[in-house]
This record gives sequence, C-alpha cells and structure tokens, in this order.
Amino acid sequence: MTLGYVLLQNLRRNPLRSGLTMVAFALPMAVFVVGISLVLALQQVSKANEAELRLAVQNRIALVNALPERLRREIEALDPDKRRIVAVCGFRWFGGRVPNTKSGIQSLGADPDTFPIVYRELRWTDEEEQSWKRDRRAAVVGSNVAAQYGWNVGDRVTLESTVPPYLSLEFVIVKITDATGRVNGMYLRRDYFEESRAERGFRNPGCNVFWLRCTSIEAMREMQTLIDEHFANSPNETRTMDENAFAASFTEALGNLPGLMQGIALVVVFIVALVAGNTMMMSFRERTRELAVFKAIGFSNRRVFGVVLSESVMLAVVGAAAGILPTAAVLGAIGVRMVGFLPITSLTVSPTAIVIAMCIALSVGVAAGLVPAWQAIRLNTVSALRRVG
Amino acid sequence: MGAAGIVLRDVHKAYFKDRLEIPVLAGLNLEIAPGEFAALMGPSGSGKSTLLHLIGGLDTPTRGSVRVGDSQLESMSESALTAWRSRHVGFIFQMYHLVPVLTAAQNVELPLLLFRMASSERKRRVQTALSIVGLGDRTDHRPNQLSGGQEQRVAIARAIVTDPDVLLADEPTGDLDARTSEEILNLLNALNTEFGKTIVMVTHDPRAAGHAGRTLHLDKGVLDREEVNTRRAATASAS
Repeated sequence: MTLGYVLLQNLRRNPLRSGLTMVAFALPMAVFVVGISLVLALQQVSKANEAELRLAVQNRIALVNALPERLRREIEALDPDKRRIVAVCGFRWFGGRVPNTKSGIQSLGADPDTFPIVYRELRWTDEEEQSWKRDRRAAVVGSNVAAQYGWNVGDRVTLESTVPPYLSLEFVIVKITDATGRVNGMYLRRDYFEESRAERGFRNPGCNVFWLRCTSIEAMREMQTLIDEHFANSPNETRTMDENAFAASFTEALGNLPGLMQGIALVVVFIVALVAGNTMMMSFRERTRELAVFKAIGFSNRRVFGVVLSESVMLAVVGAAAGILPTAAVLGAIGVRMVGFLPITSLTVSPTAIVIAMCIALSVGVAAGLVPAWQAIRLNTVSALRRVG
Repeated sequence: MGAAGIVLRDVHKAYFKDRLEIPVLAGLNLEIAPGEFAALMGPSGSGKSTLLHLIGGLDTPTRGSVRVGDSQLESMSESALTAWRSRHVGFIFQMYHLVPVLTAAQNVELPLLLFRMASSERKRRVQTALSIVGLGDRTDHRPNQLSGGQEQRVAIARAIVTDPDVLLADEPTGDLDARTSEEILNLLNALNTEFGKTIVMVTHDPRAAGHAGRTLHLDKGVLDREEVNTRRAATASAS
C-alpha cells in the first residue's frame, strides 16, 4: 500500500460526492477546451492572413454598397510601376445556396485574371489555373463545402444566388481547396456572374470589395492611406483595411470572440474552484478526527498537508481529464466541419488547449485544496481527538 | 524495541479559553517504570487525558519536565515530537478511529508508510500484528464488516505494528460491552507481560483498572493517590 492508494480510496469514501465533483470539473473543462480550441483556430487563420499581405477596399458607407468595377483600374493606376501592388481582384457577393437546401454558402464572384495571383495560397496547379481561366463557369470550392455536399473536381453544380436578381447558375468545379481560412467558401468567376446579371437587366457591374495583394507590409500601409485619400470626397469613398480587420468586421456581430472566450474561461475556473473548494472543505470537516489520528500516529504536518492537497488535485485532474479526453475524442471522430461563418477548417480540440485546461485544473485543484490543507496543518490534534471522545 | 520508563516532574498544564486560564495539571509528579502497566483514573477534568497526551508528545507542558525513555519531550520541537511518536508511541483510542475505506490490514499498515521499508517486510509486520491481536484471518475486512471489539483489536494492531516502547490507551473499552472489554484488557495485559510494553491506560472503569499493575488516581491536576493491584500482581508473579 502507498499513500497514493490511500488517496484513491479516500475518493471512494463518498462516491456520489466525488462523482458529482468530477462532473462539475468535467463539463466546464470540456466547454473550456472547445472554446480555447476555437480561439486558437481563429488565431491561426489570423496569422495566415497576415502572411498574405492583402488589403480590402470597400465602400466607406457599407459593404453592401458595391463600388463600380472601374475603380480597379484607378487603384492599379495609383501604383503604375507595380512596386507596391502585385495585383487587384474585384469580388461581388453571390450568396449561393444549393437548390432545395436551406444553408447558404459563402460564395463570391472574383475577377478571373487576378484571383489566382491575389489568392496564391490556394496553391494552384497549372492545370487548375488554366481550367479557371478557360471556363467561365469555373468554380473553386472550399474543402468543407465540398465535403458537405459530396462534390468533386469536374462536377457540375447549380447554385442559386440569394441576392437580386436571384440567379440560378451552373458551375463546374475546377479546384477544391483546404487553404487556411478558405475551407467554407466558394469562388466563382465574376465575369460570368455579371453577364448573367446583365441578361436580367442588372447592368451595373461592381464589386463589394477589391482585394489587393501588396509587395510588403510597408507597401500595405502606404496603399491603405493612398487609396482612401484618392477616393475621398468622391461619389465612391472607400475604406481600406487589412484582412484581419476586414474579418473582424464580421465577427464583431458575435462581440470580441477571443475576449468572450477568455471571460468564459475565467468564470469557469472561478466556479469550478468554488465547487472544488467547497467539496474539499466538506471532506476535511468530515475527516477532522481521522487527520488528527494520522498526526497522532506520526504523520508530519508536511505529509498531512500533502495528503489533503493531493486529494484535491487528484479530484481536479481526474475530473478535468474525464471531460476533456472524451470531448477531444468525439470531436476528432465526427469532425465538426461547418462552424457558422467562421473561416476555420474544422473544430478539433487542440493539444495546446488540452495542456492549458489541464494546467488550469491542476491550479484549481491546488487552490481548492490549499485552505483545507492549511487547516489540516493547523489542526490541534489534542482538541480534535477530545472533540470526538 | 524495549520498554521505556516515564518520569514527570512538577508538570503544569493550563489551557486558555477566552483569555481565561484553566489549569488542568498543577505540579504533577509521577514515575512509571519501564514495562509497567498503569491505569489512570479520576473524575472528569482531573487531567487524565491531558496527562496521556503529554506522555505521548501530542501536547507540551506549560511548565515542568516529561521524560519518556531517553527523550526529554518538553524541549523537543513539534516536528521532532511527531517523528518521535511514530517510533516510540502507539495510541489506542476509545472510538478506534480506523479509516473506513481501508481494510484491517491496510489500517494496520498506515503507520509503516512513514518508514523506509520493503513491501514484504511491511506485510510481514502487519500479519504479525494482526495475529497477535487474534485477527489474522480478518485482514481483508473493512471496519464496517467488523464488530466493535474486532475494530479495537485492529486499532491495537495498528498501535503495536511499529513495535513502540509505550502504548497509550484512552478509555480503550469505553465503547465495548463487558465481555469484549475483558478480551481487550486481556490483550493489553498480554502485550505488557509477554512483549514488555509500557502501557498507560485512562479509564473510568475500576474493573478495567484492575487489569493494570498500578492505578493512579488524579484529582484537580495532581496525583491524589495510587494503589497497587494485588490481584494482578499475584497473577503476574504466578505466571
């Protein structure tokens, strides 16, 4: 027998209470790791975006107010020797939906000539790029969307637009991409989209956003100022921002997501600490005489402190593991692919989140056990033995 | 280990409650010889349990000296007293105080966890201690599967498993019926006569005290009188 065995047996003393306390650890920790994994995934997208040196130019009033497509030429003309701008690509919102389905697809029409340049991280093969440029019905699909609808390269698919004139167009999939941040999207050729709109009488070709790939961070900063200054006091005033700022304008609807998650994490830790602390205090009070006997037979204060603290830590760590590991296994197995409009590949529990959660569980276990462990040290053996006869 | 003698000189002990000093022992002088079985009797509040705690190093005197064997307890630190207790003293409590989630053998093994000892040696000692108290066949029983007398036997096995010099029993039969009490007292007698343990037992029961070689009567914190148990002395000399 070891002291560890004695600790384990102590947890069996009141199985219902131990079980409920572990559940009290398990559930919040499961939520916590999912939340932290989400934040980490978004941070990964954010880092990937930073590396792409892209700027978004949209109408200063609102994104839905399209800018005339001729602005692309004006933007390109601001850097005639192409020292700062690699390419400019106009995008128009299509807002597609597969017929007879309810969930939408983030689909946009993109300028066919510059899309492969501005979105080079899609890792185009020559064949894919040629297919995109050759076929006006070409479409690039994110891997999550393709997986959801069972699409493959070469498939002909029909998409209904959710914006006027509510076109129903057929596309040919030329590429499926799993590039970070692009897995939930679908990209069409804007010329095909605009021509179809014109056939319905919508002859106002325009873009909701122009994406620029720049040559450097300095070039991004310069162009950001230059573009907005150029279009200032014109009928088409612009708002230029980097890709993360552009993405943030969407997630603002959810509030500050990382901040929200951190807030939830703090509340979770606090509540769990209270639950565990309460349990440990109850356990300590019930075993006052037993701890007094431990001290009487020669257990030092250090050992008694260790026994009480270890019990709390064990409860916390086992409880957290009971919540985290099944959650990680289930998410890993079923792979939650579509996470609203968030541009993450899939929601799997990150190892970093597991490590953070286990460290928190450990800390909470220590914090919850400190007071009873300290009281165990200060326990007056004589008084405790007298109290029970 | 052999037996240890106990010598108390001018021992005072006072507790404080709401800044009010409550004297419990008031200049107690006492000697218990190595290998002696002494019973402590007296009215409630006379200082019996306090005296037991002082001899066991669970408490320190306000004034005076307490020597057990070669150890002068009043000058030892708390940690030194803890270490000393684990080697030299075995406690037996009225309510047994066994750990309910451990088996009889595991309860007996608890004090041995404080020593560097091979697992096989620990098991041997546990088995020996349980055999001495007549529970060699109940090693895997938990306290709730044992009778009160059996629980007290396990507690005695726990007290002797480290082979201490002194056994301190605080009303060991206080919660037992007459027959079981007799068994426990006979067991303590055997530990005293056959294994030479010095035993100090607090009791309210004159019949229990009759099993000791000497009965020390405390009153108002001092030794009021003492009597030698002739029946036991005769039994001892006959054996």
